[in-house]
Amino acid sequence: MVTANPFIPYSATLIKVTDLTPDIKLHNLQLNDSALQDKFDYKPGQFAFLSAYGVGEAPFGFVSLAYQESGIEFAVRRIGTVTRALHELEPGAKIGVRGPFGNHFPLEDYKGKNILIIGGGIGMAPLRPVINFILDHRDDYGDLLIINGARTPKDLVFTNEFDTWSKAPRTRLELTVDRSDNKWQGRVALVPEVVKELKPSPVNTIAITCGPPIMIRFVLVRLKELKFANEQIVTTLEQKMKCGMGKCARCNVGDKYVCQDGPVFTFDQISKFLEQY
Amino acid sequence: MKVITKGNLLSWLRQLSQKYTVIAPVTSAEVTLYEPVSNSEIEKINLNFPNTDLSPKNWFFPPSETLFTIVKNEIPKIIPASAGHEAVLFGLHPCDAKGIALIDKAFLAEPADVFYKEKRDKTTLVGLACSTPCLECFCTSVNGGPADPTHLDILLTETTEERYIMYIVTERGGQLLTDAPMQEAEVTSPVPPILNIVPTEGITEIMPRVFNDSYWDRVADRCIHCNICAYVCPCCYCFDIRDYVSKEKIERVRSWESCQSPGFSRIAGGYDPRSTKGTRLRQRWYHKLLYFPERFGDVKCTGCGRCVRSCPVNIDIREIITDVQRMRA
Amino acid sequence: MINEIRNKVKELLETKRVECVIGYERATDNLTARPVFIYEPSQVDRLIFDETCVHNLSKYLLNRKDKPTGIVTKPCDSRGINLLLNESQLHRENLFIIGVVCSGVKKVRFNRIEDSLPTKCQYCPQHTPPLYDFLIGEPVTETSPRNYADVIKIEEMTSKERKMFWSGHFDRCIRCYGCRQACVGCYCYECFVDELDPLWVGIRIAPDENWVWNIGRAFHLSARCIACNECERVCPVNIPLMLINRKLEKDTLRLFEFEPGVNAEVIPPFATFKKEENLGVSE
Repeated sequence: MVTANPFIPYSATLIKVTDLTPDIKLHNLQLNDSALQDKFDYKPGQFAFLSAYGVGEAPFGFVSLAYQESGIEFAVRRIGTVTRALHELEPGAKIGVRGPFGNHFPLEDYKGKNILIIGGGIGMAPLRPVINFILDHRDDYGDLLIINGARTPKDLVFTNEFDTWSKAPRTRLELTVDRSDNKWQGRVALVPEVVKELKPSPVNTIAITCGPPIMIRFVLVRLKELKFANEQIVTTLEQKMKCGMGKCARCNVGDKYVCQDGPVFTFDQISKFLEQY
Repeated sequence: MKVITKGNLLSWLRQLSQKYTVIAPVTSAEVTLYEPVSNSEIEKINLNFPNTDLSPKNWFFPPSETLFTIVKNEIPKIIPASAGHEAVLFGLHPCDAKGIALIDKAFLAEPADVFYKEKRDKTTLVGLACSTPCLECFCTSVNGGPADPTHLDILLTETTEERYIMYIVTERGGQLLTDAPMQEAEVTSPVPPILNIVPTEGITEIMPRVFNDSYWDRVADRCIHCNICAYVCPCCYCFDIRDYVSKEKIERVRSWESCQSPGFSRIAGGYDPRSTKGTRLRQRWYHKLLYFPERFGDVKCTGCGRCVRSCPVNIDIREIITDVQRMRA
Repeated sequence: MINEIRNKVKELLETKRVECVIGYERATDNLTARPVFIYEPSQVDRLIFDETCVHNLSKYLLNRKDKPTGIVTKPCDSRGINLLLNESQLHRENLFIIGVVCSGVKKVRFNRIEDSLPTKCQYCPQHTPPLYDFLIGEPVTETSPRNYADVIKIEEMTSKERKMFWSGHFDRCIRCYGCRQACVGCYCYECFVDELDPLWVGIRIAPDENWVWNIGRAFHLSARCIACNECERVCPVNIPLMLINRKLEKDTLRLFEFEPGVNAEVIPPFATFKKEENLGVSE
């Protein structure tokens, strides 16, 4: 849903800010126009631009589910000028939202299948609403295996949901870190190695992965070794974006615009040009 | 057919400039550009140019444009920027009209770019057929032609006696000519010039096969990654968006950028999928010859030759196309 | 002359003294020249050298800092190499410089050779390269006296006339940064115009910003510009950039008696401080 002028963001107010990790915050906001807020619809996989007025805009994937009515949520990692400005905002601050843009995970098509979620660091963010959607519609899906990794234990995101996730029926949560700290009791391994260790079966399974480009590359190698077909591997890509609607010709991976044909892609759609990623 | 003398053409434009903004080719400092021309400046219009140095896309897609302004007070109130007013873009060649039509495919696709669309809806295109093409032109190799009226509202063709044949292409063009001092006359239409051929046949099918070739790195050796090729091109349209802050307001501004500038695709944190010169250069040709045609059905080049003339190191699209054809053989 | 160049390049590649030689070849218009990178001895016949070889090739050396590279240079170009050596951007031992004694190049645009000299040749002070490993042509020791007639013409304008003169030109600027990319002295990893925080100029292409860009860049090149004319040559809208650079060159000569690019060893004025420069600060 877009305004008459797709370059103009909706006015919104920041409701709540939660620290997820030392450099990632969860921003919860609401559109100022309540009629618009009620109608605002988006699906897991889509993204929107958040405007820190006076600094700029950056794209973020939605991490909440539209039907949950708990506000619109984004996970923001502080890494550049815009994200630094967003991190300085406090509840009550004015913020702009432009979107939703992009395609979404075709969760309808995955009904009846087993789902394998492989996330690294901030890459878990666009996968969180997928997990929560599946848990809300548990009987529609098969087994759910979640592999969630991060650089160190304090970089793991959504830790307060781990309990809900691991206790859900036919659901398994496997955590891992690249480097341990003094208190970590769990697994210490790179995410692709965990995929190799757990040997998930490709039978009737969709693998959805998101994380740093180098992690995606190696996870792909492991999944191919386990005989996953290209159409069974789904990822969401990130590229530099400005307009979000296929006009500024910047975000393409090969012939696909991440903002319009993506950000959700199956591996067979992008394998030709993946070296450019 | 309808004919107009040069003198009457200028007086018609003078008349139009009272109601419309007239944008026409003007030469100064040895450079020919499309500029708004007022009533008293109609004589400055240059009708004898091989082609202008910058394309007329500037009118619809200016180098910089404010998207919206936020006046700083308690609740940010967004004031959208106002768009264009009725205008006549005069004197463009068919290649440049095709360039605008190619940008239309991207900018008018859903969701339409409002700023571009408003100017587009309010501008009538009065074109000029080519009598002497430039040495670098090759419009006939990319589905165009020196007298092609397709994307214009009116096409003027100069005859030998300083008269112009006026071909009315669209209804909009016809309406503009309602009071124009035209005459009916039988005039021989000049034969359109013959242009050099560039082997573009099947180029879109061949491009995927040579993606990984080291050819792109070798060409990129001499590329200096300025933005000149994209800025002079009538159908390139990449842009950047940033916020500007002053005491009273914040403006979000969009400006031209090109895929050749270093850092074009670099995200915060430093990762850049096109960090090397070869990948950036390759992106330009693939966008023009593969990605755009796959998406919109037409090669993103009008054969105007400006990039060939302006490239400081002679990176020549005609040579690239010829080389690619040879590589696949 | 060209055979001498080709033979030398062939020898350099065959003995593996260098991996690549940067020179000139014929452009697609069959009239003018363009840069060429020769990697194989069998390719040396592509090399040419005549009055259409206007490009300054020394900037390409920055992409090949750690690789042994040869280069064909005119006197103005080798001043560029001196500048880069002076600023520690290149390793001398990785370079093999083929210097060519030059009597001037023509003013060229694609498919057009004008029968006139570009600004740099009109006011060229030296026809023998100040730096070379191998010289082509007989060295010319006389240097032409300095002549700033073009700059003086602008200096004689009133302040208002000068503002109008430059506004007339900067209004046309489309910030393609061709001048920056072609300039051997412009190699900052992040140019001041791309910096966001703090924002000096930004992306807006408008008269005010164009002033800051062009004048800012010129000042960053004071006592560094080696007058190769590339900025002016590549400008797609014909802004007479050399006038600004030459004004700063004239002032630098008067104030510091310094000529950039002549010597790789001498410390440039803006990289040093002398006590005699009385700033009115107490000891």
